[in-house]
Amino acid sequence: MENNKSVLVIDDEAHIRRVIELKFKNQGYRVITATNGEEGLELIKAQEPDVVITDIMMPKLDGKSLCERVNEFKEERPFLTIVMTCRISPTEQDWIDQMQDTVFVEKPFSLSTILKCVDQYFSDQG
Amino acid sequence: MRISRFGIATIVMFLVGIVIFAQSLIQHEENKRTRDLRHKGNYLVSLMALHPMEDFNTGKRDFIVKTLAEYVTSEGLVYCIVHDQTGAPLLSLAHREVVDKIPPDVKQRSLYVNGLIHQTFKMTGTDNLINEFAKPIYQDGEKSGTVRMGFDLPPITIFSPARVKLMAMMAFFTFAMGVLVYYGVTLALRPLQEVNQNFRSIYLESTPASSIEVKNGGVAEIIRDLEQSVVKLRDKYQKIQTENIDLTTKCGIISFEKNNVFSILDSINYGIIVTDIQDNITHINSYMLNLLEKSRSDVVDHPLAEILGHDQITAFILQQEELKHSKSSSYIEATFPELASGEYFQVSLGYLTGKEEGVIGKVISFKNITSEKSSEKAKHEFITHITHELLTPLTTINSYNEMLMEDEIDNIEMQKEFYNTISDETRRLTRLVKNLLNISKIEMGSLTLKKGLVKTDWLCDDCITAVEGAAQKKNITIERNLPDHFPSLFGDKELLKVGIINILGNAVKYTPEKGQIKFTLNEQDDVVVFEVIDNGYGISKEDLAHIFDKFYRSTDPRVTEQTGSGLGLALTSEIIRLHGGEVEVSSKIDEGSHFVIRLPKEEYYLGKQ
Repeated sequence: MENNKSVLVIDDEAHIRRVIELKFKNQGYRVITATNGEEGLELIKAQEPDVVITDIMMPKLDGKSLCERVNEFKEERPFLTIVMTCRISPTEQDWIDQMQDTVFVEKPFSLSTILKCVDQYFSDQG
Repeated sequence: MRISRFGIATIVMFLVGIVIFAQSLIQHEENKRTRDLRHKGNYLVSLMALHPMEDFNTGKRDFIVKTLAEYVTSEGLVYCIVHDQTGAPLLSLAHREVVDKIPPDVKQRSLYVNGLIHQTFKMTGTDNLINEFAKPIYQDGEKSGTVRMGFDLPPITIFSPARVKLMAMMAFFTFAMGVLVYYGVTLALRPLQEVNQNFRSIYLESTPASSIEVKNGGVAEIIRDLEQSVVKLRDKYQKIQTENIDLTTKCGIISFEKNNVFSILDSINYGIIVTDIQDNITHINSYMLNLLEKSRSDVVDHPLAEILGHDQITAFILQQEELKHSKSSSYIEATFPELASGEYFQVSLGYLTGKEEGVIGKVISFKNITSEKSSEKAKHEFITHITHELLTPLTTINSYNEMLMEDEIDNIEMQKEFYNTISDETRRLTRLVKNLLNISKIEMGSLTLKKGLVKTDWLCDDCITAVEGAAQKKNITIERNLPDHFPSLFGDKELLKVGIINILGNAVKYTPEKGQIKFTLNEQDDVVVFEVIDNGYGISKEDLAHIFDKFYRSTDPRVTEQTGSGLGLALTSEIIRLHGGEVEVSSKIDEGSHFVIRLPKEEYYLGKQ
């Protein structure tokens, strides 16, 4: 079941980090985790993950700013971004509408849904 | 009887008339007498000159003298002298003393003139005026003699008895006419005088004294019509005066109301600008003047766009032009960064409409919505925060459950850990929902305290037990300083527990691993004092002022990396306040915090109630 794909999970909530990590590890992915956006950004630069799963409300660097800052890396080396959102405000919805090549999963989400998105992404990539 | 000036003038005029008339009569009489004398003299002297010279020496002489003698009495003949060729008197019908009084030059001129001559002279030594007529007597073509005849002017016959009688009659008639005219005019003027008096009465705003009795129907009709017209005019004048007073009063009221409106506009907490149809400012209230930092005279009568210098608002007003006939008003949000930094204004546009003129101006209002904006922002942040706080444990529960359900966890220990996490997160969710509900209830004033006797021994146990698990995970020791004798409180045990747990929980959360927490209970006079002292991260001065505010969370990363809603201390503060107690906090960054809760003892609490 081992594959060479890596997933970065960024969330300040340990339980969520842990459960996503477990789910993807079970599927043979290499999983790395970060507790805030700043840490996540460093790992994106250093580890070049294939999938980034991130929360929005986080200390230091929030999910929105992180997504905007990783766009430059995406051009050189594309990766899938999955954002866990609450979809509660019109401004957040506006931001969601603007973001291309980004998958949004609404809390409380199903882990299978995220996994399907990732599998689909890799199958599309060939 | 009082004779009016008009009467005197009339009489004087008549007297003057009579004198002028008499004078002209005398003049006429004198002219007539002179003219008659000239004709008579010319005629008689010519008649005498027709006689040949012989007639004055023959028998005809007596006849001539006799005829002339008649003229002396009837025609005023004073003398008649016939001279011969040499100038010697041939016939003289005159007294010697009369002839001597004739000036010699008169005789000389008469004798040497070849035609008819008329001379007037005064007799020497007298004022008697004599008219001499002379004519030569020609015989066979040669001058053979001269006839000279002197006439005295006949007396003026104007004062003859007949004339005097006539004049007396005329004078009487004139006087009688004068009197009659005077009384006639007086009678004719009397209604006019009465009208005059009535006009004076009307002018002085009193009713006419009496109606006019005029015999002459035509004049009376005119005067009556005139008087009625004047009365109507007076009524109209009085009506106009009344209306004028009404209008003045109304103007005063309008002016007062206008000032009132301006005062109201000045007192309201909105900026108001009123413009005319050309967009020139006609009124601006004090709020707006303060905002623009201008004086009224700098602004009134100036174009709106020039005064505001705000492209966004100018564009908005232009854009709204099409909607000016509709009653709906629109608005935009604008800022004045240079004048009121950080403040937001809601700019609305309305139209002033006249009854018939249509749109006559615009009203632009500026509502400061900074506080609404910030409360809207706070509300939005609250919802965002609370949603996140609610969804996070739900997500954990949901995903952990999913993993268990799909048998992805085969390790028994891990399964147990997952079940515990689900349980913990469920409690976290429950606590959060309860906190929210309690806060809402307190804010709405609908929280009912389930009061009863609260024993502090098991209150302390419950509180410490609630946080002990979390403390153990971080190797934090909780030192209990509890008395031998536990005092009692009177209140809602569950709420008091929530209040104390929130402080204890925070102490665990914000104290690093292997830290220390002291939980102390003691009595001071009439209060029970709970103290929670930790050696954690501490609270900055800035944060200390806000830690009891709802949803306030420090920006310190050591705080933000912990889960928290920012509701705990707000709720604790409210719960303690509801129980008649107080919460105090002192803290130093990196040294730790010291919370003190003071609650009235049971007996004092009841006493206080």
